[in-house]
Amino acid sequence: MSRNKPAKRARLANEGVPGRLKYFTARAVANIRQNVFVNVVTVGTITLALLILSLFLLVFVNLEGLADNWSKRVQVTAYFDQEPSPQELGTIRAGIQSLPGTAQVVYVSKEEAVTRFRARLKGQESLLEGVSADILPASFEISLKRESRDSEAVEAYVARLKRIPGVAEMQYGEEWVRRFNTFMNFMRLVGALLGGFLLLAVVFIVSNTIKLTIYSRKEELELLGLVGATRMFIKAPFLIEGVIQGAAGSLLALVILCACYFGFLHNAGNFLSFNPADTGLSFLPAGYLAGIFFGGMLLGFLGSMTSLKRFISI
Amino acid sequence: MIQLHNVFMSYQRDATALNGVTLHIPKGDFVFLTGASGAGKSTLLRLLYGALKPTRGQVVVDGQNISRLPPGQIPYLRRGIGVVFQDFKLLPNRTVLENVAITLEVLGWGKKDIGKKVFHILRQMGLEHKINATPLRLSGGEQQRVALARALVNDPRILLADEPTGNLDEENKAQILNFFKEANIRGTTVVVATHDRRLLENGHRRVVVLDKGAIAEDGDVQK
Repeated sequence: MSRNKPAKRARLANEGVPGRLKYFTARAVANIRQNVFVNVVTVGTITLALLILSLFLLVFVNLEGLADNWSKRVQVTAYFDQEPSPQELGTIRAGIQSLPGTAQVVYVSKEEAVTRFRARLKGQESLLEGVSADILPASFEISLKRESRDSEAVEAYVARLKRIPGVAEMQYGEEWVRRFNTFMNFMRLVGALLGGFLLLAVVFIVSNTIKLTIYSRKEELELLGLVGATRMFIKAPFLIEGVIQGAAGSLLALVILCACYFGFLHNAGNFLSFNPADTGLSFLPAGYLAGIFFGGMLLGFLGSMTSLKRFISI
Repeated sequence: MIQLHNVFMSYQRDATALNGVTLHIPKGDFVFLTGASGAGKSTLLRLLYGALKPTRGQVVVDGQNISRLPPGQIPYLRRGIGVVFQDFKLLPNRTVLENVAITLEVLGWGKKDIGKKVFHILRQMGLEHKINATPLRLSGGEQQRVALARALVNDPRILLADEPTGNLDEENKAQILNFFKEANIRGTTVVVATHDRRLLENGHRRVVVLDKGAIAEDGDVQK
């Protein structure tokens, strides 16, 4: 019989950060294999929760796109009393283009204005008989950059535009811009509120599901502590397991989202755009997809971390 | 190896589990803690492996004062103590090998060394043929031997056992007691909490009798 002595320190295969990480990951994978059912439930919950959030984002992103499309109609038209000479035209155009917020400047001559007017009165051209091109003024149609399309920015822009010599009158549909901006702010507020509540619900549901799965293994946590495992040793495999669950859940949610989108949503009609030229809903940008994936992993990690606190007593 | 000086332990204000216990257990000793249910046996054992801190008094185990031990040091204290629990505390979804291996995994042993060491101790316990079985497929005696193997696999300096023969038949009781004796012969200090009189009569051992949280008797019993 050998004399009792402190546990012989055998060759430690799991020492150092890479060794430990390898061990903890292997332990996490083994835990998943040994607790298939609870892991399927957790991944399923994360998938469903993130899928709902993704669908909401899809709708929100498309509404934002639609609003952006509408806001392109925010346009300032600067009229001239008399048609400027080509030299004056160049100077005024350069002045307008140098204003902050200018996106595009299009010159509409008197002749072009009349041609457009005629086109609008199609079928009633007789009304314009004997009317010369002089009746309509020449103008610059100015499209604004996205950040200059709200009512305050438009007013500020118009104030700066007035200082350019040669411009007689300006029109920019003040009432429409104001109403549109109010509507958009309301939409964004509703979207942010809904999104916020949805996010809270997702965090709550996922963290509670993870808490239940960890609760079902509290004996294991207790035993590890009793045989001398450090806090880190107990927690690490569970945290890695949470990250794997989060990654699997978010990936599955994205796959289902892709299937839904490419299956029927992409050609679901033009109910959002109100524009027959558009092809339907657009998909989430890559940044959002990455956000959902990494958000899922973070959710799994944080869910495990907060739940573990409750069950580790050492 | 183990020293208790005037130890008081209360879970609540009125319920005192230990009432001024002073006890010295030298290295290599084999002690039975006995007494009626609620006498404080389990509480005393829990104090020894750092699951509880005394309300008053000092508990020194293997040179470490439990009362002043920071929580981060408790795992290192426990690595030198093997504990056999009344309810075994085996993980039902892990095999016998994995259940015993936990103790060595915590110490950072490599897979190969763990395999060898676990197989060796399971052979000593007569369980080598059950290495891949899960605990639920084992009898009560076999489960207790797995729990004992887990406690002894790292050759601990101290072995604590709480009612280790509670639900076992006579044959299994004798077998378990033999494993304790062998561990003690190898130099492990053994403390067994039990109210099983037959276990106490099974040889020349020191017996500490607890009554209502205080030591009522401390001496050798010879059969």
